[in-house]
Amino acid sequence: MLEKTQNYFSKIKKDFAKRRIEKKVERKEETFVGKKNGILAWSDYRHPAAWVAYGIGISILIIFVFLALAPIFWLFVSAFKSTSELYEIPYDFWPQNFSLMKIVEVWQYLNFGKYFLNSVIVAVGSVAAAIFFNGLLAYAVSVVKPRGYKIVYALVMLSFMIPAVANLVPLFKEIADFGLIDSYLPLCLAAGANTFYFLLFKTYFDSLPQDLFEAARVDGAGDLRIFFSIIVPLSRPIIGVVSIFAMTAAWSDFLLPYLVLQDDAMKTIMVKIYSIQSTIATSTEFGPDRLLMLLCLSIIPQIIFFAIFQKQITATSTTSGIKE
Amino acid sequence: MKRVAKEKKQGRVFWGGNLRKRDLIGWGLMFPSILLFIFFVWWPLGSNIGLSFFSSVGFSADKFVGFANYETVFQDPIFLKALLNTLKYVGWSLLIGFLIPIFLGLLLSEVVHFKGFFRTVLYFPSMISGIAVVIMWSFLFDPNAIGPLNAIITAYGGTPFRFLDDANWVIPLIVITMTWRGAGGTMLIYLSALQTIDNSLYEEARIEGAGFFQRIRYVTIPHITPTIKTLLILQIISVFQIFYEPLVMTSGGGPNGASESLMLLAYQYAFNEPTRASLSSATSVILSVFIVLLTLIYLAFVSKQNKKEPQNA
Repeated sequence: MLEKTQNYFSKIKKDFAKRRIEKKVERKEETFVGKKNGILAWSDYRHPAAWVAYGIGISILIIFVFLALAPIFWLFVSAFKSTSELYEIPYDFWPQNFSLMKIVEVWQYLNFGKYFLNSVIVAVGSVAAAIFFNGLLAYAVSVVKPRGYKIVYALVMLSFMIPAVANLVPLFKEIADFGLIDSYLPLCLAAGANTFYFLLFKTYFDSLPQDLFEAARVDGAGDLRIFFSIIVPLSRPIIGVVSIFAMTAAWSDFLLPYLVLQDDAMKTIMVKIYSIQSTIATSTEFGPDRLLMLLCLSIIPQIIFFAIFQKQITATSTTSGIKE
Repeated sequence: MKRVAKEKKQGRVFWGGNLRKRDLIGWGLMFPSILLFIFFVWWPLGSNIGLSFFSSVGFSADKFVGFANYETVFQDPIFLKALLNTLKYVGWSLLIGFLIPIFLGLLLSEVVHFKGFFRTVLYFPSMISGIAVVIMWSFLFDPNAIGPLNAIITAYGGTPFRFLDDANWVIPLIVITMTWRGAGGTMLIYLSALQTIDNSLYEEARIEGAGFFQRIRYVTIPHITPTIKTLLILQIISVFQIFYEPLVMTSGGGPNGASESLMLLAYQYAFNEPTRASLSSATSVILSVFIVLLTLIYLAFVSKQNKKEPQNA
């Protein structure tokens, strides 16, 4: 009997793989000369006007690429300037020298590694909580469907409407009452009560063929067994998606961490940056040039992360249709 | 049917009802997540509404005062300013940030060369942490002559611009930074909507001799209208909650409250001296009511759309 489930399981896996290959083939076929789809097809390019329009389109895109990248480029170049160079007239775009010592200097002055590690701890914890808690809840609501699950579902969806920051005061008081100030626990667990991640999981589980669960049940597999031997292996793509979202969100988050992490040694990078920025006008030792370098250091991990996962990231933010 | 019968057989009589093993397992699986939702969402939500009807000492409720907090808030000139500014933020963001992603999505769906490159690079700013982006732009908007943007302006013979110090310009400039960060993500959503358009519609239009603009007018636009409406409401909702941009860029709503927003005000009531937690709760309840209303409009629209879909298909 168990064989039936396994056959079904491997068939679905094959389907998934096949779909992926088909997608790749589709992508390869998209070349200019044979351009079939879209507003302007290849046949329209007989008219010179179409070529002009295409050229204008490309130029506009190049302008937008410039607008998107120029500020970041400016940031990375200017981070190597000294404070006096920043205030120099006439303005010079390039710093006098690109001394890598500046990176080392800022890193050591701040003991940056410590904050970096703190951010990593929060990010990893958030990812774990986001997958475990939202995944379980979505599995229960989507597949197990115990009696009364609709109430839970409605309440979870209701919290989608409420802006998270709006309940900040009671949440902060609650965290303080539980003695969780200066603890990473509430920051990580907060990712476990996230309607957006829950919905991503639920939509995915809903899209899995229900026959598969039926077959497994006929074979005598319990709900826990189904979860570990069918859902978990099939969920790798959605776990990846949620991890990416949770990782980026945790790395960038600052308001709750700012309120909760009051001890300087516990601060995450973003909290540290904000506390430096808000006191920079009165600070004499930490100049604006060092803040710029600090910004670069905080962005670099995100750039690396994006470079590795850019395909998954752009694909998922397309399909999910919901912004963070 | 078979399963139901089987479950009935398995079911035990418990508390006067049929409690299946699945129910127990299901609730067991949901229990930890429900605890988290209670801790992080539902309990704070409830106590926030409660606190808005009490006077407060520190962060704790003291005496029941009815709607007095709401009256105080509505009489506070800063509140009215914040409300007006929040509407200004929404207005400017529609003016600046709404059309750009649609336009970019259209361009990107037509372009063949370097498509992947354009898509990745235009999305890239959305990946960077909001705080870092906002601090970076405050440097770029340096009001002195030595600021990078002012250096460009003066190089072309202009006079230095006061940027964020200018009460008339501070909101549009903040909206520009939001757009800079957010446009790429929205663009991707439009792009995916554009890619689902059935190509035979374009072919038909082509055969009937429809020109470029006619094809956009009669094929493209009608097809992405649902996406446009959805993203329009989502954008209004998210801009309504604008908070950390003015907090960081104008050190809490300056100059002279010209960039103060409702959410920022709720934060300041609670965490600036003197602490007025009840007023903060009242403000965030008012804000939430606005957002819930907008969400209901959105949901009504989505369900209407779902009803329509079968007819279209």
